[in-house]
Amino acid sequence: MIEKAIEAKDLAKVFGGLAAVDGVSLEVAAGERRVLIGPNGAGKTTLFHCITGTLHPTRGSVSLFGRDVTREPEHRRTALGMGRTFQITNVFADLTLVENLALAIVGTDRRKWVLHRKVENYPDVRSQALEGLEAVGLADRAFVPVRLVSYGERRQLELALALNTRPKVLFLDEPCAGLSPSERLRIARMIAALPRDITVVMIEHDMDVALGLADRVTVLHQGKVILEGAPEAVRANAEVRDVYFGHG
Amino acid sequence: MSAPRALFILIAVVAAIALPYVGGPFWTGLVTQMYIFGLLALSVDLLLGQAGLFSLTHASFFAVSAYTVAILQVRYGVPTVLAAPAGILAGSLLGLVFGLSLRTRGVYFILITIAFGYVIWGVAVRWSSFTGGDNGVTNVPFPSVGGFEIASHTQYYYLVLAVIVLCGLGYRVLIRSPFGLGLRGIKGSETRMKSLGYRTDMHLYAAFVLSAAIASLAGVLYVYYNRFVNPVASSFPISVEAALMAIVGGTGTIVGPFIGAGVVLGLRNWVSSFFEMHHAIMGAVFIATVLWAPDGLVGLAGRLRSRFSKKK
Repeated sequence: MIEKAIEAKDLAKVFGGLAAVDGVSLEVAAGERRVLIGPNGAGKTTLFHCITGTLHPTRGSVSLFGRDVTREPEHRRTALGMGRTFQITNVFADLTLVENLALAIVGTDRRKWVLHRKVENYPDVRSQALEGLEAVGLADRAFVPVRLVSYGERRQLELALALNTRPKVLFLDEPCAGLSPSERLRIARMIAALPRDITVVMIEHDMDVALGLADRVTVLHQGKVILEGAPEAVRANAEVRDVYFGHG
Repeated sequence: MSAPRALFILIAVVAAIALPYVGGPFWTGLVTQMYIFGLLALSVDLLLGQAGLFSLTHASFFAVSAYTVAILQVRYGVPTVLAAPAGILAGSLLGLVFGLSLRTRGVYFILITIAFGYVIWGVAVRWSSFTGGDNGVTNVPFPSVGGFEIASHTQYYYLVLAVIVLCGLGYRVLIRSPFGLGLRGIKGSETRMKSLGYRTDMHLYAAFVLSAAIASLAGVLYVYYNRFVNPVASSFPISVEAALMAIVGGTGTIVGPFIGAGVVLGLRNWVSSFFEMHHAIMGAVFIATVLWAPDGLVGLAGRLRSRFSKKK
C-alpha cells in the first residue's frame, strides 16, 4: 500500500452563504507532486488554508501521514511536517534575509523560546540559514533587509522560508505568481530539484509549469473537484478546456 | 565597535557618573526620574517597538508594584529585600491577567488595555481603606538591603543608574535572542509566523508578562525615589506618557525610550516654569514627532548623519 501523505475528506468552507470549498476529498501519496489547477475563485487557496490550518473548515477532516490533524492549530501542523508558501508574498520586510531564514529554522524547535542568548551565537542556525539562502540563489543578499530586494528575490525567499521548516509535505500557492518567464523557469527548476522525500502540493496557473512538474493534476471548479488524473489526460480533457480556457 | 560609538559611550558613562557632583540636586533628581520613566517607556516599547502592540495600561503594572512596595514597607514594616521583589511579582501577576487583552489585536487591543488601566485607577482612588485613596501611601523609606542603606538622593541615583545599566544590557540580549527575533517576526507578519511553527499568541503573551515585569521594576524604583505613591501613578496619562516617551525617543531602540523620557520630563519642567498650558506644548511635541520624525529622535539623528555623510 502506498502511504498517504495527505488525506482530506469532504472538506468544505462556507463564507456567509458562499461555499468556497464544497466537499473536496483529496489524497496525495508520499513523495508525489500534485498540482491543483482551476480558474479564479475555484477555491484552490481556500482549500490550502483549510489543509494547512490557516482557516478552520466548516466540515470535513484532514490527515497528515495517517494522523488526524483537523483540530490541530496551524503552528502544530507545521511542527508535524506541513510547510507552505503564500500566494501574496508573506515575508518579513524589516528583517534581513538571513534573519528571515533564522526565524524559519528555530520556528520548529524549542530554541524559539530562548531569550538569554543572541541568535547570532547559534553557529548552526547561521550556517543553515546561509545554506538555505544559497539553495535558492540568494547567498549574496544574506545581510540585506528584505525591503531592499526585488520582487523576484522575495518569491525565492518565500520558497526558502517554507523549505527551512523541514517540511514533509510542502504546499506551494502559486510560487511563480507575478514573475517574468526567466524567473518562473528558475523557480520551477528549484521545485523540480526537491528531493522525493518531500511531498509537494502546488497551485499553479501556468499550465506549462504545472503540467511539467506534476505526477497528477487535480482540477477544481466552483469549490469542487471536477477531474483528477495524469497531466496528459487532464490536458486532453474537454471539460477542463471548457472551464479553464473557455469555449472556443 | 567604531571609534565614534566608543567615544559616545565613554562620554555618556562619565557624564552619568559625574552628574551628582556637577549638576546638583535638581539635575540629579530630574535624571533619576528620566531613568525610571525611561525604564517604564522601555517596557512599553518591548511591545510597541518589537512586537508591534500598542499598550496603554502600563501605568497599572507600574502603580500596582509601587503600591505593593509602599504598603508592605510602611504598614507592615517588611524589609526592602522582600518588598521590592513582592512589588515586581504583584505587577507581573497583573500582567498575567491583563495579557487577556491579546485575544484581540489592533485598535481593540488598545481599547481593552485602556479599559484595564481604568480598573486599576478606579481601585486606587476608591478603595481608600487599602490604598489610602487620593492621598495614597506616604512616608516610604529609602531602600535598605542587608546592612547597606541608601541615605541620600545621590546614593539612590547611583543605585537606579546601576539597575538601568543592567536592564539595558539584559534587554539588548533579549531583543537579539530567538525569542526577540520572533517578536519582530510577529510584528512583520503574524500569519507567516504561524505557518513557520510559532504559537504567536503564547509568544506575545510571554512578551506581555515580561513587559509588565519591567514596568513593575520601574514602579519599585519610582516609589523609593518619590517616597510616596498616589493614584496619579496608575492614571491613564502616565500610560500615554510612557508610550509618548518611547515614540519621541525612537521605538525599537534601547536608548530611545530613555532619551524620550529625558525630553518629555525636561521640557515639562522647563516649560511649566513660565507657561501654564505646558500640556499643550507636550501635545505639539508629540504631533511634530509623528509628522517629521516618526522613528523618533534616534531615527532622526541617524537620518541626519547619513545625509551629512552623503554630502561629503
